[in-house]
Amino acid sequence: MRRASLVSVVAAVSALLVVPIPLSAQERAVAIRGGTVLPISGPAIPNGTVVIRGGKIVAVGANVTVPAGAEIVDATGQYVMPGVIDAASYIGIEANDLNEPTDPMTPQNRAWESYNPFGTFAAGQAAPLRNKEALSGGVTSMYIAPADAQLLGGQGAVVKTAGAALDAVLVREPAAIDMALGSPPKTPARTQNRDPFTRMAESAMLRQLFVKAQEYQRNKTSTPTTPRDIGMEALGRLLRREIPARIQANNATDIRTALRLAQEFGFDLVIDGGAGAWEFKDELVARKVAVVLGQVSHQYVSNEEIPDKQDYPKADERLAGRLTNAGIPTAMATFSRAFGTLAPAGTGKWLLIDAGIAAGYGMSDDQVLKAVTLVPAQILGVADRVGSLEVGKDADVIVLDGPPLSVKTWVRRVYVNGELVHTK
Amino acid sequence: MTAVTATAAGAKPVAAQADDVILVRGATVHTAAGAPISNGSVLIRAGKIAAVGANVAAPSGARIIDATGKTVTPGMIDNHSHIGARPTDLNDSPMLIGPQHRFLDALDWNDPDFQDAVEGGVTTIVSGPGSGENVSGMAVVIKTFGTDYSKRMVLEKGGMKFAMGPKGNRTRYPSTAMGVAANLRAYLIKTQEYMAAQKKWEDDGKKGNPPARDLGYEAMSDVLTKKTYVRAHVHSATDVMTLTRLKDEFGFDLTIHHSTEAYKVAPELAKRGISAVVLPLGPRIGVGEDAMAGPAVLWKAGVKIAMHTDAPVISQRWLRLCAALAMRYGIPEAEALKMVTSNAAEIARVADRVGSIAVGKDADLVIFNGPWYEPKSRVDLVIGDGRVIYDRAKEAK
Repeated sequence: MRRASLVSVVAAVSALLVVPIPLSAQERAVAIRGGTVLPISGPAIPNGTVVIRGGKIVAVGANVTVPAGAEIVDATGQYVMPGVIDAASYIGIEANDLNEPTDPMTPQNRAWESYNPFGTFAAGQAAPLRNKEALSGGVTSMYIAPADAQLLGGQGAVVKTAGAALDAVLVREPAAIDMALGSPPKTPARTQNRDPFTRMAESAMLRQLFVKAQEYQRNKTSTPTTPRDIGMEALGRLLRREIPARIQANNATDIRTALRLAQEFGFDLVIDGGAGAWEFKDELVARKVAVVLGQVSHQYVSNEEIPDKQDYPKADERLAGRLTNAGIPTAMATFSRAFGTLAPAGTGKWLLIDAGIAAGYGMSDDQVLKAVTLVPAQILGVADRVGSLEVGKDADVIVLDGPPLSVKTWVRRVYVNGELVHTK
Repeated sequence: MTAVTATAAGAKPVAAQADDVILVRGATVHTAAGAPISNGSVLIRAGKIAAVGANVAAPSGARIIDATGKTVTPGMIDNHSHIGARPTDLNDSPMLIGPQHRFLDALDWNDPDFQDAVEGGVTTIVSGPGSGENVSGMAVVIKTFGTDYSKRMVLEKGGMKFAMGPKGNRTRYPSTAMGVAANLRAYLIKTQEYMAAQKKWEDDGKKGNPPARDLGYEAMSDVLTKKTYVRAHVHSATDVMTLTRLKDEFGFDLTIHHSTEAYKVAPELAKRGISAVVLPLGPRIGVGEDAMAGPAVLWKAGVKIAMHTDAPVISQRWLRLCAALAMRYGIPEAEALKMVTSNAAEIARVADRVGSIAVGKDADLVIFNGPWYEPKSRVDLVIGDGRVIYDRAKEAK
């Protein structure tokens, strides 16, 4: 009942927006042809064709029969690739809804329930943010989560940047338990004279919480009448390795703590930020830990305009290439958010351009493109649906008017679930 | 391919003397003072540019830097940053109007951020106090490299920082836009009175003791006599208009900084000759398309503009990308380059020394391995005051 009313409110709001094509699954086929197709999962296809229908990719190749009656999109001289995936973003969540300031650990919180998929949530402020920002950079999926002002903010989700209804926007939820180590959780706590005051308290508090979660799962199994605790239920999914932990950790101390906690409690780990990850390359490879890096031009992923530099080793543009070449799944993400009334350091709009820097630092163009598409899809556990141009995957396709990593290139068309949701 | 540095005699260490003669040749030279020169050369002598053109002969004994296929630009200039001081030294919050403050007195010339600037091809910067007060003090224009601090200083009175804020702080006056305007106006009037008292004492034959000195009014006098100029932090169009009114009333030279909504009043800036320093990349501006297109609107209206990083907000390594992003909204490549070179120098009042590749100017050059504006291009070599100050070939892989 409650859910139905929410959907109708959202539908009413979306009806007010200018939408060029109705956001329903498009049954008429669309054939994008003549362009250089970059499937990511395979080599580039010059003069290739991508056919989409019913929200899915139905054909990709050099010699594809275009279905009769299909809408033809001429991409001659252009590039066609899967929608970009921003493996960490807060765009769509109001600044006041990013963290619970009163409690350092809230595993019961779901970022999804702070997320406004249609909103111009910062309207009237210095720089309005909307998913249009992500779409204009070709971002079609992103991971959203509580921010880093808490040790454990709650549950993250993978969402599309456009869709007809809440269900259409959601790809995976919960997708991870989201945590942060270092200065960001300490800073607000210290102003309130409560823990975590130190890094010691950070790991002790998390450890106590995980012990409690282990006991809860045990009690629930042995005594099914044990009262439900939705936070403990969420942590159960982490402990059963149904979803990974996303732990923001940048310097060596914090990365070491994250690795220690993951080992101790046996959960899967993704390091967020990871500015100091190179020091741990052997361990990351051995334990199959993935890394989601911040922007190449602005590695600071925390909520401060000028972050505590003790949290970060010196910025190094080689990091993405080094980790990738060492075999560590490495995504490049924006971590974009609004802080206060200010705009974020970068949104999905600049993700391709920013990642392009890494192509000057030991990565091939192909590796860079993979690090903003298929690799994040794999890290987020949604590679069955998005991240490459393959038959059967969601029709999240972008058309660019030049090489994807050039600063002069614009994203001209964005399809999400087969619908054309952005043009330029 | 990285730059090959050698003499006829063979390899030579990078640590050269300032009086070395260097010829950079084979590159596409973007001078920021004219059309690009294909297969161009730049001759450097005693730290200055001695010749530039398509046909420059190598003097005997000159070190030859073969930059065939590469791009040469002037050393880049970041018109607005805060590097070299600790974050806790940037804003003297209790002193809401503090023109007597000098950024020089908080400057650590060895701050590691300067190396970032060099590696990004940024050889000259304006660095100054923050924007936490209505007037926060005097900026400096300095080179980003070298151990002789007296040589690094380009302009000691590098501009008086105003800030149209902070507002919304309900614990003290002023907390509104009108309060900030009135506070600034009152101080400027007091400065006029201070100057008048000083002049009267002089006109009266300097009889008796001179009027009591006040370092704040004294510093602001330099603004009113145009010995220096105003660098005003401003975002809203409302505050931009307030600044134009203050300029009209008090007759100082004005530049505006960040300039988020300046495009909305571009003609008002153009007709007064007010330059705008803008930042299309980073936390303060730039996600909304209107604001991103703002620099192009200003440029078309005839406003001279420069880009800035606000470093450490954005690392100076990416100053060039700020200009590159502006190109996306219709600013031509040559004009975009000026916004991080010659325009930045002119706005900072140091164009006699830096900002373009022209005979007699400081030999500050950057050699890129591709177009200067592309993200994946790398800075291969940086020359500062005629010396090689960065060589990527010598960097650890």
